[in-house]
Amino acid sequence: MKRIFDTGNAAITEGAIRAGCNLFAGYPITPATEIAENMSRRLPQVGGYYLQAEDENAALHICNGGSIGGLKAMTATSGPGFILFADAFGWAVSSEVPVVIVNSQRVGPVSGITGAPGQGEFYLSRYLTHGGNYETIVLAPASVQEAYRLTVRAFALAERFRTPVIVLADQMVTDGWETLELPETDDEFAALGLEVVPRRINPGPEFYPASDEIDVPPVVLGHNTGAACSDWTPTDRGHDTEDITWQHKHAWRLIHKIVNNRQLIDEADEWFLDDDPEIILVGYGTPSRVIRSAVGEARKSGLKVGGIRLISLWPFQSHLFTRTACYLVVELNWDGQLVREVERAAADGSNVHFWGRCGELPSMAELLDTVRQLLDNEPLQRDGWRTEKW
Amino acid sequence: MSDLLETYVRPEKNPGTACKGCGLRLAHRNVLEAIDELKLSTGDVVWGTGIGCSGRQTFATWRGDTFAGTHGRVYAMATGLRLALPPEKRLILTVGDGDAFTIGFLHLLNAARRNVDMTVVVFDNLGYQSTGGQYGVTTPLGSRTDSSPYGAWEPNWTQGGFDVLRILKEAGATFLARHTVLQGHEPVESLKKAIGNRGFSLVQLIYPCVTHFGVQALETRNIATVYDWFRERTSDDLAADSNTHFTTGIVHDAAGSRPEFSVAVRDFVASVQKGGSRGGTN
Ligand code: SF4
Ligand SMILES: [Mg+2]
Repeated sequence: MKRIFDTGNAAITEGAIRAGCNLFAGYPITPATEIAENMSRRLPQVGGYYLQAEDENAALHICNGGSIGGLKAMTATSGPGFILFADAFGWAVSSEVPVVIVNSQRVGPVSGITGAPGQGEFYLSRYLTHGGNYETIVLAPASVQEAYRLTVRAFALAERFRTPVIVLADQMVTDGWETLELPETDDEFAALGLEVVPRRINPGPEFYPASDEIDVPPVVLGHNTGAACSDWTPTDRGHDTEDITWQHKHAWRLIHKIVNNRQLIDEADEWFLDDDPEIILVGYGTPSRVIRSAVGEARKSGLKVGGIRLISLWPFQSHLFTRTACYLVVELNWDGQLVREVERAAADGSNVHFWGRCGELPSMAELLDTVRQLLDNEPLQRDGWRTEKW
Repeated sequence: MSDLLETYVRPEKNPGTACKGCGLRLAHRNVLEAIDELKLSTGDVVWGTGIGCSGRQTFATWRGDTFAGTHGRVYAMATGLRLALPPEKRLILTVGDGDAFTIGFLHLLNAARRNVDMTVVVFDNLGYQSTGGQYGVTTPLGSRTDSSPYGAWEPNWTQGGFDVLRILKEAGATFLARHTVLQGHEPVESLKKAIGNRGFSLVQLIYPCVTHFGVQALETRNIATVYDWFRERTSDDLAADSNTHFTTGIVHDAAGSRPEFSVAVRDFVASVQKGGSRGGTN
């Protein structure tokens, strides 16, 4: 392993390069600009292409175009650019094209505050395009090291599932400096549980099988296979059709290739859940690091508190919330997004609470205060909107 | 034509679903003729399409590899795809006037700026016809459409001294031409030059929409009358008055005058890999 001290932006760049990325198209935006800058330096060194697009809409379309030519493509952005992906994201979902999208979440809505962390795109990452009839794969790193690992993983999942994969980071993960261990040998790489899935070429004529199977080679143009891909509802050959039967098959595949193979995607950390804790703290990304500390501290003082850190966000891991318990969901937003899914998934009789803030992390002491209030059945003390019974 | 269709068009997409009498079929045939006269086979061309009548009628007609983009974005897609394709592979996009000149214009300009090797064939039916006939930036001033019941009055990009192709010339395009489909073999000759150019080419190919433009703007359901109007309005003098005529011909031929984008990128990458001065190290 090569140990370096660097940012999440650098980790994402190195992960992409290690995964075989050979096309990056992006548009500068704080706090994801450094990813573009790093890619502009690293890609030519490995024979890859860096393009500065005219906007984010173009960026992801350029990636899609490269991907249907057989390149491994990635783009990176933050909220105001992420929203502009709607068009190209839908195209990639429906045409089943592998591509990796990094979003370093900042404070919104709109331009908001550029250099501070937010978690406002939990649902947007699930529904980044219109029309429904699809599932989405979203991974959420909480550290520099994990940003590397999940970027590599995103490329592998994109290839295997033939779909865009979103790495939903936050400003603290991408801008933060930490020790990063980069595997130097294939063995070290494999020891991290990582793989590189090469680009495969679908030989046709069936480009869009009406099944939930994964590892179907993607549509690649330029090999005279009669490949056809489009924004229209496809037949199995990729021709446009208005026939609702094909639409049902297509939608069924887009949903079930992901949910029926979700064991390859699902990932979470669970802390101190073995003794049926009274309170379970839930989060993802940088706030989950405070959760982890708070849970450890609570245990030291004998409190039955556990924690869940979601590493894959979508498809949502409802099975993690089958315990009847008191859940406290901690997020970097004031409106509560993840908490809504937890509320939906939580076993009957559970209590689900929300701890929200934006632009800065909660402190461990603040979370422990709330835990004590909940344990003592005290009415939750509201400081601003910090604590809510959801 | 039947030979061309057999060679180049997927049987299940023939005869297609364009309205009876639609000039789009002539435009489509012009492109196939150019390909045929250049002796290109299905494996030599990747064919992309946009949204609108042009896209809907031509997507997946090509027997070789084919794709359709979201509305106006196919130029950005083609930019990425170009980097993946071997330089000799021809990339042809058949798109509409709305797709190219309005919703996709930003991407079109940037494809021209980069001189990305692609041939954009704008099947120009003088407005938004697949949505029932609304005016666009090539609709002649004064035309009645469903969204200009009192006559189109917004400035357009083909009259009043404007020419959208001149904007593309300034943006860096290396081949530009305009024709109507009523000019026999002339458009085919321009299309051949466009496809042969290793850079950004665009051919605006004006054709009659009989169902909407004919009925709304020309107030006739008679197909022959519609075609006569287009024929009379076609001038092969580029300097003719564009307020009254479709001025046609090769607007700009600078083939080979600028580096092609994908070639330039590959050269740049190779220079960095050799430790070139622009590359830096890691
Ligand atoms: S609406 Fe007009 S342009 Fe479209 S297919 Fe019909 S005649 Fe042709
Ligand atoms: Mg039109």
